Amino acid sequence: MKLVGYINRAIVVLSAIALVLASCVLTYSVLLRYFTPEPTDWQDEFSVFLLIGVSFLAAAWVHSQRGHIGIEALASILPPKVNRVRLFFVDMLSALFCAFFAWKSWTLLAEAWTEGYVSATAWAPPLWIPYSLMSVGMTLLTLQIVLQAFRPLPPPAPPTEVPL
Amino acid sequence: MSPFTLGLLYGGVTLLVMFSGMPISFSLGLVATVFMFFFMPTSALDTVTQNVYEEMSAITLLSIPLFILKGAAIGRSPAGRDLYSALHVWMHRIPGGLGIANVFACALFAAMAGSSPATCSAIGSAGIPEMRKRGYPGGFAAGLIAAGGTLGILLPPSITMILYAVAAEQSLGRLFLAGIGPALLLVAFFAAYAAWRYSREVSRAEEGSALLATESYTLGQKFAALPRVLPFVLLLTGVMVALYGGFATPSETAGLGAILALILIALIYNTWRPRQLEPIMANTIRESSMLMLIIGMSLFYSYVMSYLHISQSVAGWIVAQHLSRWVLLAAILVMVVVLGFFLPPVSIILMTAPIILPPLKAAGFDLVWFGVIMTIVMEMGLIHPPVGLNIFVIKNIAPDIPLGDVVWGIVPFVILMTLAVAVLCFLPEIALWLPDKLIT
Repeated sequence: MKLVGYINRAIVVLSAIALVLASCVLTYSVLLRYFTPEPTDWQDEFSVFLLIGVSFLAAAWVHSQRGHIGIEALASILPPKVNRVRLFFVDMLSALFCAFFAWKSWTLLAEAWTEGYVSATAWAPPLWIPYSLMSVGMTLLTLQIVLQAFRPLPPPAPPTEVPL
Repeated sequence: MSPFTLGLLYGGVTLLVMFSGMPISFSLGLVATVFMFFFMPTSALDTVTQNVYEEMSAITLLSIPLFILKGAAIGRSPAGRDLYSALHVWMHRIPGGLGIANVFACALFAAMAGSSPATCSAIGSAGIPEMRKRGYPGGFAAGLIAAGGTLGILLPPSITMILYAVAAEQSLGRLFLAGIGPALLLVAFFAAYAAWRYSREVSRAEEGSALLATESYTLGQKFAALPRVLPFVLLLTGVMVALYGGFATPSETAGLGAILALILIALIYNTWRPRQLEPIMANTIRESSMLMLIIGMSLFYSYVMSYLHISQSVAGWIVAQHLSRWVLLAAILVMVVVLGFFLPPVSIILMTAPIILPPLKAAGFDLVWFGVIMTIVMEMGLIHPPVGLNIFVIKNIAPDIPLGDVVWGIVPFVILMTLAVAVLCFLPEIALWLPDKLIT
C-alpha cells in the first residue's frame, strides 16, 4: 500500500515535468517555424508521447482520489449499507475491464517490440514507447482499484475540480 | 439482430452500467468491449488497445491537458480578483455597473482560463461578496456568476469545442471564431438583464439601502488598477494572434499559452516555487487524466457503434422520419439537454456526434453553426440541476446563500440562453460572419 503511494507520488512529479516539457516543446516549435526555415517534424509527436504518458500513468493516482467521475445519482439515494455493496461491485467490474485493457496493452507492447513497429510519420519513433506507458499505467490503475476496493473509503473529491 | 435493435441494446446497457455509478470512462470501455466480444469477430478484441491509442494520439486532442494547465495557472492565481477589481473601479458609475462588471470579468476570465468552474470560482469569490455587500440579492449574484462562468466553454480556446471539431471533422479555427459572436450576444443579454434588475431593485430600495450608496475613485486609482490586469489581457490577445495570424497550430497555441501563463504568474504573483505550483499541477494532472481517459474510451465506444452499423442505421432512421428541419433540431437539442442532466459535455459530444450530425447535415444545417448552438445548450446543463457543476462551485464560495435562491437566481439566465439559441437560429450570421470573414 505504501509502495503504491510512493509510486503515485513519483508519477505526479514526473507528470508535472512532462506537462511543462510538452508546453516548452510546442512553444519551441512555434519559434523554430517563425525564425528558421527548418521543418518541425518531431515536436508534435514527442508531445503526444509525453501527454499519453501523463494521461495513463496518472490514472491510478486520480483513482486513489476517486477522481474518475461517474453518475452519482444512485449513490445519493441508496442506504449506506447497500451503497457499499454497490461500490464494491462497481469497483470489481472496473478492475476487470482495466485488467483486460492492461493485458491487451502488454500483448500490443510485446508485438510492437518484436516486430519493431514505428509510427507512420517522417520522424518514425518506435511505438513501444507510448505502448509501454499505456501498459504500465493501466496495470497500476488495476492494482489501485483492487487495493482500494478492499479498504474503507476516503471522502470523494469535491465536484469543483472538473473543467468543462 | 438488426443494427437498430442492437443500437437500442447498446444504448440501454450503457445507461444501465453508467447509472450503477461506474466511472464514465470505464463504463464506456467496458460496454464497447463486451459488445465487441459478442457481435464482432474474436480477433477484434486484440485491437482494443491499439484502437484506443490511435484514437487518442492526435495532438489536437492531447493539447487539452495544456489548455487545462493554462487555465489552472491563471485560475489559481489572484488574477481573477485583480481583473474583477479593475473592471469594478472603471465601471462603477454606470447604473448597474457592478453587475455588468461581473459579467465582463467572467467573459474575459473565461477567455483566458477556458474553464467554467474556474471562472465561477475566480470571479465569484470576489464578485459575489462585493455584490451582496452593495445590496444585490444573493440569488441574483449567484445566478449571474454561474451563468457568466459558462462563457468559458463558448469563448476560445474551449475544450468542448476542440472535441466537437474532432468529432464533427470541422475546422477548429472556424469553430473557435464562430463562438465569439454568440458569446458577445450572451454577454449583452446578461449585462442588459443585470442593468434592468439593478434599476428594479433600486426603485424598491428603502432609504439608506446599500444599493443607493455611491462611491468614487480618483483617476489615479483607476490607472493603478491596470498594471496587474494588462499582462493577462495581453496574454489573451497574444495567443489569439498567434493562432489566427498563422504562427501556431491550435495545439502549439495550447503549449505557448501554458508557458506564458506560468511565466506571468511567476513574474506578477511571485508564484514559482514547487510548493506553490503543486496545487496547479496536481489539479491539471487530475483533470487531464480523467478527461483523456473519457475521451479515449468515448472514441472507442463510437468506433464499435459505427462498426456494428448502429450509428449509421439510427442516423438513417432519423433521416427517414422526414421531420421538418426545425423539429429535427428541436428534438436533438432536447436530447442534448436531457443528456446534460447526467453527463459532462465531453461524453455527450463524442457519443452522440456520429448519430446526430449526419441527419443535421442532410437537413442543410451548417455544422460549425450547430457546434455553437450545441455548446450553448450544454452550457445550460452546467448551471441547472441535478449536475449543474457551476452550482456546486457557487455553493462552495458562498455557502450561506440557500440553494433554492441560487437555483431561482439562475432561472432568468437559462431563459436568456434559450433566447440566444432562438436568435441564433434566425440569425446564424451572428456565429458565422466572423469565421467567413477571416477564414476563406
